Amino acid sequence: MTTIPIHPAGKPAYNLSRQAREAEIVLDHITDDFDGNPAAMQYFYDLFRRVYIQGEALAHEGKLIGTTCIQAPDELIYAMGGTPVRLCNGSYHYDQIGADFMPAKSCSLVKATLGMLHADNPIPRIGKPDLIVNPTTCDQKKKASAMIEDMGYAVYDLEMPNVKDSEEARLYWQRSVRQFAQKLRQVTGRKLTKKNLKAAMARTSRAQAAFRTLHNFRKASPALMLGKDVFLVTNAFFFDDIERWIAAVEKLNAELAQRQADGYQAAQRRAPRILFTGSPPVFPNLKLPLLIEEAGGVVVADETCSANRMLYDMTAVDEWLLHDMVDGLADKYLKPCTCPIFTRNDDRRRRLLELAASFGVDGVVYQAFAGCQVYEMEQKSVAAALNAKGIAMLYIETDYSPDDHGQLTTRIEAFLESIKTRKRKRA
Amino acid sequence: MTPSKSACITPLQAVRDAVNQVDFNRFRFWFQAIGFVLFVYGGYLAIDLGSRLPFFSCGYNQEGRGGVCYLLPLQHQLGRSWPTLFSAASLAILTGFLVFAAWFIVLNKGWCGFICPLGTLQDWITALRRRLGIRYARYSQGQFAQLTRIKYILLALTILIPLGIGGGWFSRDMSPPFCLICPARMILPIFTGDFSQFTIDFSSKTAMFMTALGMAVTGLFLIGSFVKKRFFCFFCPMSALHYLISRPALLKLKKDGDKCTRCGDCYRVCDMEIKEIADDIKTTDIMTDDCTLCLKCVASCPEPGALKATFVGIPIFESTEAGFIKRMTREHAP
Ligand code: SF4
Ligand code: SF4
Ligand code: SF4
Repeated sequence: MTTIPIHPAGKPAYNLSRQAREAEIVLDHITDDFDGNPAAMQYFYDLFRRVYIQGEALAHEGKLIGTTCIQAPDELIYAMGGTPVRLCNGSYHYDQIGADFMPAKSCSLVKATLGMLHADNPIPRIGKPDLIVNPTTCDQKKKASAMIEDMGYAVYDLEMPNVKDSEEARLYWQRSVRQFAQKLRQVTGRKLTKKNLKAAMARTSRAQAAFRTLHNFRKASPALMLGKDVFLVTNAFFFDDIERWIAAVEKLNAELAQRQADGYQAAQRRAPRILFTGSPPVFPNLKLPLLIEEAGGVVVADETCSANRMLYDMTAVDEWLLHDMVDGLADKYLKPCTCPIFTRNDDRRRRLLELAASFGVDGVVYQAFAGCQVYEMEQKSVAAALNAKGIAMLYIETDYSPDDHGQLTTRIEAFLESIKTRKRKRA
Repeated sequence: MTPSKSACITPLQAVRDAVNQVDFNRFRFWFQAIGFVLFVYGGYLAIDLGSRLPFFSCGYNQEGRGGVCYLLPLQHQLGRSWPTLFSAASLAILTGFLVFAAWFIVLNKGWCGFICPLGTLQDWITALRRRLGIRYARYSQGQFAQLTRIKYILLALTILIPLGIGGGWFSRDMSPPFCLICPARMILPIFTGDFSQFTIDFSSKTAMFMTALGMAVTGLFLIGSFVKKRFFCFFCPMSALHYLISRPALLKLKKDGDKCTRCGDCYRVCDMEIKEIADDIKTTDIMTDDCTLCLKCVASCPEPGALKATFVGIPIFESTEAGFIKRMTREHAP
């Protein structure tokens, strides 16, 4: 890996262009090198072009609350008039800057996030967060807290248990979430009420309903759209205005409904249907999903925290009183979560098997960022569970650098080829 | 919009979709209200469904009752003197039990979730608390594990004490022991204007003790169900009896663990705090001994087919994504 020296402070132009070029190459590839992009995707293409390439500043309402993980309840932030923005970054350029903070073999995503926060004119241009919420998930994110604080940000460690099955963990997490609400109250100067929380929950649940509809359309075979676009859609959720995002997804859903009625095919009938799992693809690092789809596969579902895991699970409330709503939210963020930082991964394996069955999946691609120990460690047990059901899995350890492009292409092509052969034999 | 089945929808599917998307809480509220009227005031309409009913349609509500809770005749039958008890005349105990079981088997514990007037009353008290904006209490898991046994002890006493009375060990003033301490005996007659059960019987020490205990339990019932959802059901000996004979029941609560994400949404809405409903992914017959088969869990599960109620094996109400979203959207409305 070649390390580019960190530019001295006060030279944003250089910074911006490196970052922007990286984004531009990926975005151009997404838009120009594939056929049949849905017309409704134009909203997202434009959004990424404006934000990541032209460096357009993002507006926000109230206090800006940065989050480094999907476990920070957005609903609480919205309820108190703030705007959540997910800081997890996918840029190789920032990964290199962030390398200064972390040991050589650490997760690209954590490094890139640190690198972005450290940069002078970070893209996306969200403005300086009033608070950064860092749930205490994996070791690298945990240790990142102090580093982010040293950069001059206000950081809040949202304490999260690393066991999720026990009742103790559940109660501990509920308390933790309540404390977070207190903290937000200090930061925003607003009070959490039944009314504002309910409105916030209604809002996120509309986003979730829109996502689920999109998700369900991907069950169609042959596929109605490619997975690279879906990752772009869910990545936009990190920073886009939620109402605009919902409207854009609903428009996309309407187009997919039309496509389905017309019998449209976005991929060949025989195209291997891939379930994507593991370390999250975050724009511009859509390397693996793009390689899969270039090679003739189609990503029909995922189990990652930059897409499905972020938007799928919905909250139920029995009594619309504040305590029940907050506890219900806490449960929703903890209980169904399939993050590998927890002691057991039974739920993750079951979830993958369920997705594989309901989406007619032919094979699973498992991405682990080099240095992300928890994903690396779960690899074997996940593969075993899938193989036991006759589903092939390709495990890929990679990072944000483009260096392994050639090697990955070969491996993915071979994997897809073996799936096709097996399909042919079965047919 | 469920894309996978937009192609052609059969009439049966259309009915199923409509049922699965029903405004469940409202449906259940009215169902329970009708059940309450039927069994608390049905007597005025000459409704009499016998005295082997598997829920608390209290026999002390002389005028209004539309049938009688089985525990009352059961205790009387068991309290006969032993020579009679062990004679052929006691065949009636057996046939009585069979009639009770036949009633029970139709709805299983659904009698609790949808019909039992005492259960409904607790839900109304809960609704009152909710309106007042007061939060509900929960047990810790340790408390739950201990308290859940009490109903079996009460059931054992409900059977053993009458036998002891028949054997001459206990005073007849203790009979029928459970009814004397059952809150339904005091509360349900009130609905027909009969306050006569609100007295302490000073005729003997035993009578005084039992009736005073009954008063205390009734007080506890009112306070308990104000702070705790379905407070009494947790201790109900009828519920224990139900569970012992629930295997052949026609109405069942089924779970498909493969489809469950263990999100806990069902556990959150469960009045009985049954953790297994969310966490157990192996058991398919998921009704536990505390369950009232209220089916709130089914209505609150977002995963298609993870939970369902079946009648003689046929799914009648099933968790669906569309149903979940529809119900939640309704609740979200300001
Ligand atoms: S458990 Fe509750 S609903 Fe069922 S019979 Fe007992 S009091 Fe009635
Ligand atoms: S609500 Fe459904 S998916 Fe969630 S834990 Fe209960 S049964 Fe499982
Ligand atoms: S498990 Fe389901 S049916 Fe049983 S009491 Fe709980 S919510 Fe009701």
